[in-house]
This record gives sequence, structure tokens and C-alpha cells, in this order.
Amino acid sequence: MMMYPRWWRQTFVVLTKEFVDAWRDKRGMTSVMITVLIGPIITGFMMNRIADRQKAAEEIRLPIAGAEHAPALVEWLKQQSGVEVVAAPDTPERAVRDKDEYVVAIIPPDFSARFRSSRPATIKLVADSARADTAAQVSRVRRLFEQYNAQIGSLRLVGRGVSPAVASPVQLQDVEVSTTQQRAARLLSVIPLMILLAAFTGAMQIATDATAGERERGSLEALLINPVPRSALAVGKSMAAAGAAMLAVTITTGLCAALLRFIPLQEMGMRFRFGLPHLAGMLAAVLPVCLATSAMQSCVATMARSFKEAQTYMGILILAPMLAGMLGTLYPISNQPWMYAVPMLGQYVLLTNVLGGRYPGLIAFLTAAVSALLVAMFFLRLTVSLFKDERIVFGR
Amino acid sequence: MIEATNLRKQFGKVTAVDDISFTAGDGQVTGLLGPNGAGKTTTLRMLYGVMKPNSGTVLVDGVNSAMHPLEAQARVGVLPDIYGLYPRLTAREHIRYYGELHGLSHAALDERIDEIFQLLDMKHIAERRAAGFSHGERTKVALARALVHDPQNILLDEPTNGLDVMSTRAVRAIVRNLKAQGRCVVFSSHVMQEVSALCDSMIVVAGGRVVARGTPDELRVQGGHEDLEEAFVALAGTAEGGARR
Repeated sequence: MMMYPRWWRQTFVVLTKEFVDAWRDKRGMTSVMITVLIGPIITGFMMNRIADRQKAAEEIRLPIAGAEHAPALVEWLKQQSGVEVVAAPDTPERAVRDKDEYVVAIIPPDFSARFRSSRPATIKLVADSARADTAAQVSRVRRLFEQYNAQIGSLRLVGRGVSPAVASPVQLQDVEVSTTQQRAARLLSVIPLMILLAAFTGAMQIATDATAGERERGSLEALLINPVPRSALAVGKSMAAAGAAMLAVTITTGLCAALLRFIPLQEMGMRFRFGLPHLAGMLAAVLPVCLATSAMQSCVATMARSFKEAQTYMGILILAPMLAGMLGTLYPISNQPWMYAVPMLGQYVLLTNVLGGRYPGLIAFLTAAVSALLVAMFFLRLTVSLFKDERIVFGR
Repeated sequence: MIEATNLRKQFGKVTAVDDISFTAGDGQVTGLLGPNGAGKTTTLRMLYGVMKPNSGTVLVDGVNSAMHPLEAQARVGVLPDIYGLYPRLTAREHIRYYGELHGLSHAALDERIDEIFQLLDMKHIAERRAAGFSHGERTKVALARALVHDPQNILLDEPTNGLDVMSTRAVRAIVRNLKAQGRCVVFSSHVMQEVSALCDSMIVVAGGRVVARGTPDELRVQGGHEDLEEAFVALAGTAEGGARR
């Protein structure tokens, strides 16, 4: 059946009609547009904030109460890069609670006496651990004091003729495996999820209107009177939905690419260079899955008796990419070859790889695409058989 | 020409159509008459190939609709029970959509659409979207859609239902016109006058069975009433208590 030019012509006629019909559905189009655009916009905003915060942690303002009790310490602090020591407010606790200050260091009057007699001298650090926005700055302050502590401790041991190494029976050494780009990718792990969601939300409107909507209006029977193979109808409708999904995915990916260029990633400590090859890689990873999502959505919507029922099912289906995203974050061992063969998960892993600056290999792309195609074909066949079922066509 | 032989259709335990046979000839208007739920729509659906009979055959111009459904469907034009128009498409787009599905080429299609618009007097609504159409306008669009591929056989499921006098007359004129062109027209209705005014032969269906057939005059005799409506009630009543769809 599929070889005949007539079949293709009819499929194309159905596809075109569904496109025109959906395009004129202003309300539906607006809601799709909003769902597609809102993700990248919110993410862009949030990343900008994170970058700002990271920058704020680099250059900190440190209020110290009782600076006069530890002039050497304060002098040392002032010499550290990006640190500005200022006078503390009169009531440090309240200032921090009221969010006037993010942190206040209090040096008690007995500091220098205890320090000189080599007894532990206390420094109080007033901070609000419930505030996530200043956590980076507080931990920078904490590290500064720990650094000073270690430095003075070593000097004292040396003064007593003891090697500082004796005081460190265990030395912890961090070995960072991930490249900076990978770390950036982890931070940007919402992007693959957003793109996969677009493959669903983009197809949703046509997939429901062209099937369940057609049943609800009663226009399916009239359509089936035409000498058109049911397969041409099912494929035409599914392809129209797939086209919309591809459009949505391309828009989302394009927006994310623009985002990655626009956001000061370097200020998050990451050297991420996002270029056209990355964009092409992401599209190659995710465009084939649009065929699968739209075929699945069209099939499920065909079973629904009404537009409303179909929309309920769509809400359940959209959990699939979320699940893939969750699995991807829970089990970050994301280079298992079998993962590429699982639709959605494969695309998720591919996207994460490309975003991390790694090229997963042609085989991985092909595996993911072929598995998506197989899923699409399975659901297309199922839809065709549903279109042949009188209970579906006339059951209202 | 449409030949239906021993058509049977069951939905679960309900037999909607039970052994219906008839022939609708070319150049004739054949009326399918019966009360609501008699099985008229189910019979028509089997004739135009969207429902498969449990048994029996349908030949459209000699083409078996079970064996060659697409060829059979290409030979019929249908005004279905529910028009199912697309609110966001214009009248012209509706007709073009169906014409393209029938495989008409663009130039021929445009010519044909203008011809039909002339015939149905619907030029003024050609570029308007279906959302705001009156019932009469909707019927015209559905009728135009049925005729776009110039079919030899035309099936009309209660075409004048809910139409005002003007539109009803227009539909009747079209049916007569089709008959004069030598086409085979099958027409279902539950209104006696409607059928008797147009039909050359009538098939009275009740409870999924044919209870009478013949010309309007013959039915008057069979029903034992001079008044056609009384005759219809008498004939349909014989199957009362029969299966309903």
C-alpha cells in the first residue's frame, strides 16, 4: 500500500488539512506556544540568577564585630582576593535574621589572650542556613576561617619543631573526574528534559484534535466514506502531529542554544562553548523521537471518546519523558549502551552527552533513532487497526 | 446501480439489519422509508462501505464493496447522518479536501467546485468558515462534498431533516436533477410525503427488515389505506416489537 503514489498523495492531503486546521485554532496554538516557551524562559532566568550568585560568592563583603581583638586575622582576611572587611551592625543576630546581612563574624574580647596562650580561640559565625541564596557566600567565609586555622596550626607545630605532617594523619584529596563541561551539563540537566517535553506538548494539540476531536464532532465517519486507505488517514494525522512536535522541539532547542550563548557560564566556573555542532547534535538526537511521541499520542487519543478524555490521557503520557529525566538523574551512570535503545531515555542520554561536550558516536545516534522509529511504527499500526474498528469509528 | 443482497448487521445481541435485499437502479430515486431506529442508517452505512455486514453483499456498479472497498467508495457520494464539518475550514476548503482525497487534480477540482457552487447556489458562503453556518448552509456544504467527484451513485441519509421549506425545495430540485442525469439516488427518510414526492420506488423498513416495497401507489394498496401516511403506519406497525438498533 505504501509504495503507491496515490497513497502518499492522500496522506499528504490529510497532513496538510490537519496543519491548516490546527494553525487556525488560535486558542490551541497559544496554549502550545506558551507551554513550549515558558520552560526555556524560566530556565534562562534561573541560570542568570545562579551565575549572579556565583559571582557574588567570588567577591564577598564580610562584616566583623570586634575586629580590634584580632588585628592579624583581619589583616590576613583583607589580603585574600575578593574579600572586603566591613564593620558589623550592633545586633548581629537580628541583622542576619532580618536579612540585612547574610553573615556576621563575631570576635570575642578574649580572642587575643587565648590565641597568644595557644588555647582554641572562638570565632562566632552568625548565618541563616535556611537561606539558599547566600549559601555559597557563607561557605566561602567558612573556608577562609578554616584556611587561616590550618595555616596558624602548621606554623605553631613548626615553631615547636614538629612537622605539620604529623598532625594530618589522613589527607583528603579530591579527584575530579568530570570535565568542566560535564559539570556545566549537570547544572543544565533541565534542558534535555525540556526538549523531550516539547516533543510531547508540541504534538498534543493535533494528536487529540485530529483523532478524538474528529470522533467527537462526528466528522470521522464522513471522512471514512472517501476512498482513502485507513493507513493513509492514520499516517497523515500522526505525521501532522509529528511535524508540530518537531517544530516545538526545534524552537525549544534553538532557545536553549541562545540561552547558553547569552548566559555568563564562565562566571559559574565553567568553560562551556556551545556551538552549531552541538545544536545539530541535539536536533539529531531528538527529532526522530517526535515520530514516536506523536504516533503514541495519536494512538491513545484515538481510543478516547472525547477531546476531554484524550487530554486526560495526554497528561498521563507526559510522565514518560519525566520518568526518563528522573532515571537519568538518579542513575548518572549514563553511558550504558542499552540506554540508547530505550526511547526517551536514549534521547535523554544523548542530549546530556552532547550538552556535556561529548560525542556519543554515530552508533548511539542510530540506535536511538531506530528504536524511536520502531515505536512509531508499532503505534501507527495500532492506530490503523483502531481506525478499522467499527466500535471506535461509531462508538460515541 | 446499487445491489444489496441479504444484508445482516448485528451489534452484540441486537440485530439492527436483518436480511435486507434491494436494488436501486440508475436514473431512479429509491426511497428507504422507516421509523427512527428501523435500521436505515445502518443499511446505508453498509452501502457506502464504512460498516461491514455480518453477511450479505453490496455491489456498487457491479463492484463488490467487501472485496474492493476503495473502488466501491469511489463510485458513491454520500450525505451522511452527521455532516461532521470542520468549524475552522471554509466551505471551499471542505469541498477541496474531499476532492483531493478522491484524487482530483487541481485544475479540474477548481472547475468542479465552481460548478457545484453554481448548482447549489452557495457562492456567497464559499470563503466563509463553517463555524457560523446555518443548518441549511451546512447541508449545502455536506451535499457539495458528496458530489465533488461526480459520483454515479448518491446516498442521502435523511437529507431534508430540519431544513426549512426553501432548503427542502432546493434539495428536492437537486435530487430530480441527479435523476434526470441518469444517476442512482438512494434516499432515506421517516417522512412519507418527502419520499412519495420524489421516489420511483420505495422500500419500507421496520425492525431491521423490509416490510414492504413498490411504487407509492403499490404501497397504498399493500397498506390498505388511501392516505400514504396511514399506509406507512400500517406497514411499519407489522414489525412492531421487532429488534431496534
